[in-house]
Amino acid sequence: MAEPRWTRRELLTRGAGAVLGGGAAVAGGYLLYDPKGDRGLPRWQPRLGLKNFFAQIDLPAGHPRLSVAVGPEHRTEELVRAAVGGLDPALGLRRFVQPGDVVLIKPNVGFDRPPHVGATTNPEVLRWIIRLCREAGAREILVTDNPIESPQACFSRSGIAAAVETEGAKVVLPAPAQFELVLLGQPQARSRAPGTAAAWPVLYRPLDRATKLIGVAPIKDHNLSSASMTLKNWYGLLGGRRHQLHQTIHEAISDLAALLSPTLVIADGTRVMLHNGPTGGRVSDVRPGGQLGRPVLVASVDPVACDAWCYQRLLGRDPAALDYLRLAEQKIQARVAAGERRFGQRDWLAYDRAGQVVTTTL
Amino acid sequence: MKRTLDQTTVPFTRFGESWQNVLRITSIRILVQAAMFALFLSFVLLTTFANLDRLPGLRHWASKFLEIDPFIALAAAITTHTVYKGLLWSLVILVPTLFLGRFFCNWMCPYGTLHQFVGWLFRRPARTPNPSGAQEPDPANRPAAPVRQPWWRAANEYRPAQRFKYYLLVGLLVAAACGSLQIGLLDPLCLLYRSLTGAVLPAAQQPFSRLLGSGRLHQGAWLIGFLLFVLVAMNLVYPRFFCRVLCPLGALLGVLARFAWWRIDRDPARCRGCDRCRLDCEGACDPHAELRRAECFVCFNCIEECPEGALRFAFFPPKEREVAGPDLARRQVVFAGLTGLLFYPFVRTTGRATRDFSSRVIRPPGAVEELELLERCVKCAQCVRVCPTNVIQPAWFEAGVEGLWTPVLNFRIGHCQLHCTACGYVCPTGAIQRVTVPHKLGLGEYVDQGPIRLGTAHIDVGRCLPYSAGIACQVCEEVCPTSPKAIRARYRMRRGRRGRGAESAERDDAPPVPTVDLGLCIGCGLCERECPVVGDRRAIYVTAEGETRSQEYPERDRNRAVRVPSQR
Repeated sequence: MAEPRWTRRELLTRGAGAVLGGGAAVAGGYLLYDPKGDRGLPRWQPRLGLKNFFAQIDLPAGHPRLSVAVGPEHRTEELVRAAVGGLDPALGLRRFVQPGDVVLIKPNVGFDRPPHVGATTNPEVLRWIIRLCREAGAREILVTDNPIESPQACFSRSGIAAAVETEGAKVVLPAPAQFELVLLGQPQARSRAPGTAAAWPVLYRPLDRATKLIGVAPIKDHNLSSASMTLKNWYGLLGGRRHQLHQTIHEAISDLAALLSPTLVIADGTRVMLHNGPTGGRVSDVRPGGQLGRPVLVASVDPVACDAWCYQRLLGRDPAALDYLRLAEQKIQARVAAGERRFGQRDWLAYDRAGQVVTTTL
Repeated sequence: MKRTLDQTTVPFTRFGESWQNVLRITSIRILVQAAMFALFLSFVLLTTFANLDRLPGLRHWASKFLEIDPFIALAAAITTHTVYKGLLWSLVILVPTLFLGRFFCNWMCPYGTLHQFVGWLFRRPARTPNPSGAQEPDPANRPAAPVRQPWWRAANEYRPAQRFKYYLLVGLLVAAACGSLQIGLLDPLCLLYRSLTGAVLPAAQQPFSRLLGSGRLHQGAWLIGFLLFVLVAMNLVYPRFFCRVLCPLGALLGVLARFAWWRIDRDPARCRGCDRCRLDCEGACDPHAELRRAECFVCFNCIEECPEGALRFAFFPPKEREVAGPDLARRQVVFAGLTGLLFYPFVRTTGRATRDFSSRVIRPPGAVEELELLERCVKCAQCVRVCPTNVIQPAWFEAGVEGLWTPVLNFRIGHCQLHCTACGYVCPTGAIQRVTVPHKLGLGEYVDQGPIRLGTAHIDVGRCLPYSAGIACQVCEEVCPTSPKAIRARYRMRRGRRGRGAESAERDDAPPVPTVDLGLCIGCGLCERECPVVGDRRAIYVTAEGETRSQEYPERDRNRAVRVPSQR
């Protein structure tokens, strides 16, 4: 039988409990109070840019900007070494990759296709690039892409996963945690055209981790933008329903060209897709070296010039007519004028006249 | 009945003396059950495209657990008059059942194990051990109908409701004989596989979706998950409700158990009527009286519990101490058969499988014609599980009542990957045939018959951006994986303002518009998945029209809206 009367202790503990509980409720309510209703919403706060992967490269002014290596496909190693070596005969890739670097390689793994139909980067080329990075002392080598079809199947079918794994590099699959919103283009351009968004999910995590960025892109016909080369290759870093950007595809590609300043790009012209791009699917859609007729690799520190060269020499089309190259040049030059250290000009003949285009034939 | 003193004092040890427990038959049973459950779960977990790609041998093993199910084999044999490939493995269960009884239910069935485990986990602690059994009523003067028994004892008492599963079995088999295979709705292995694939695993992945990639989506997952939950939760009110009352596979095995050479047998000379054998009786098969062999799961709990050693697993024990077959009323069996018989004409009268088909019912590559599919598909959802793009979905009612949970393709979620034929490899019944990649794509020796078409893409010109808004897009053309592309951009000739005569001269300044080449389109749905017009209906969408599987059955009056010209 309980004591029928309140004890002092009971009175105090119960009273204190009520006061504390009430006080906590009032304080909590005050702290969480949201008169407008927008406090609980996520902030629209995209990253304003990506790091410049070229800025730290010590490249003397007169050095070659574009290096072309032509040779049979079975001599892939020599092709890769010649293409990269053309940019710096003494140091080769060591000019660009220093010991301790984390190198991010961005191949094109867009489709669930076997390597011989040329819809994806040639895995043998990728293998030798990874090996060269390793020789240069890279601490870690990451390979990433956000394919259109199931990533696992694309990496596996294209032979890229096998090449990457046997070389001891690492595939970064495009899981949602790898993406962050990044501003494409200029902030004021937010509403410039339907289908163009200023901020878009980008495979930001691996880019953030890397200290060097190498783009390795196959040269392909493209139904909408005319050609998929090293600049269009950056599309693979986008997430979301990125095809909505296709409505202004030249703007989108040139925005990406301005946003990403790679250490180096390598155009893979071993199997050039001349028609039915960008998916292809038949061997007859592909020709080694395209119009040139022999397998080609192009290494360059100027992605715009590299694309212009490939567009003209491999696809046999006129770079002056390609909108995204013109826009990319404009946007990169605007950034150069603002003090960024990088190259971006369509006129590869100007490099040629200055002796900055090197061709090696095996 | 006279008993000697030594018979009444057989020591009752339960989790008492240590190491001997390990060798008890029930402990071995629990280990086997755990191993079987783990095996089933690992088959489910392993059956993904990535694993099949890495371990090519796995494709022959992935569906083994469904292939040993004799109910699937029998019902599919009734509908198709064949035993498809791996289903011959069901003899591994069927033949031993003829000797041992329903051992499958309490030794192998992962769904039974789940029910038993959950029942054990949440059961009421209502037991009052009474080792001597001395206060129990003597069997001789045991009341015929006990007024009120402790919960556990009532729970494991045979109830007439247990007949229901036999009526279900009869109804399902009669419907199968008519040509509608509905066994997958309740077959425990199909049900468990579907529940794990469609609801449990994707739900478990959700909290980690940022790391592991966005989880898989399954239409109608809520119902699949809710059904699993309700059936499992029933164990709290009615132990092993599903196994005892609903399971048609259990019913089939129960019928077969009539021929068993061995069964649990009670020696009335030793039994003191303590009823302890009903304490943990899984099947509610009355081991304390005449054993109902059709209900007995051969769990051996009764033997383990008996303080007198009166129960044993005996070879051809006396006939008078058993109820051999299921306790069925003939009228009800006939009624169940009639129900199955009526089900068939009623569902077929809807015309959902024939003329009034839904053009959104797009079946996986290699799927057989619709009526054949309804004879084969057991709704196990293995194809749903293995699909790398998540495009295969358990159907809702778009394929009719019969087609509930059969595989359909949802191109808003995924697309059919060109070089993938994984679904056909795991299908246990051949509803999706094992086609190779060259067969699917119409290459090599299949060049004459062309690729397998799932359907045809159509453009909604009212929503397509180049058509309706003059905005350049062409994403569908870009992603179209056939070579040459089935979707091509064309400039539209417009009837100009200057009148009819000028039309050939005046080209629209609007961007080119996509057009579909019906001869080349295979209905893979990549265009629909990638279309930037993301509303509930994309600006390009695939329908089942022109699908290959229906082309050879013109008399079935299905899917002939698009006459597909030959490819070359």
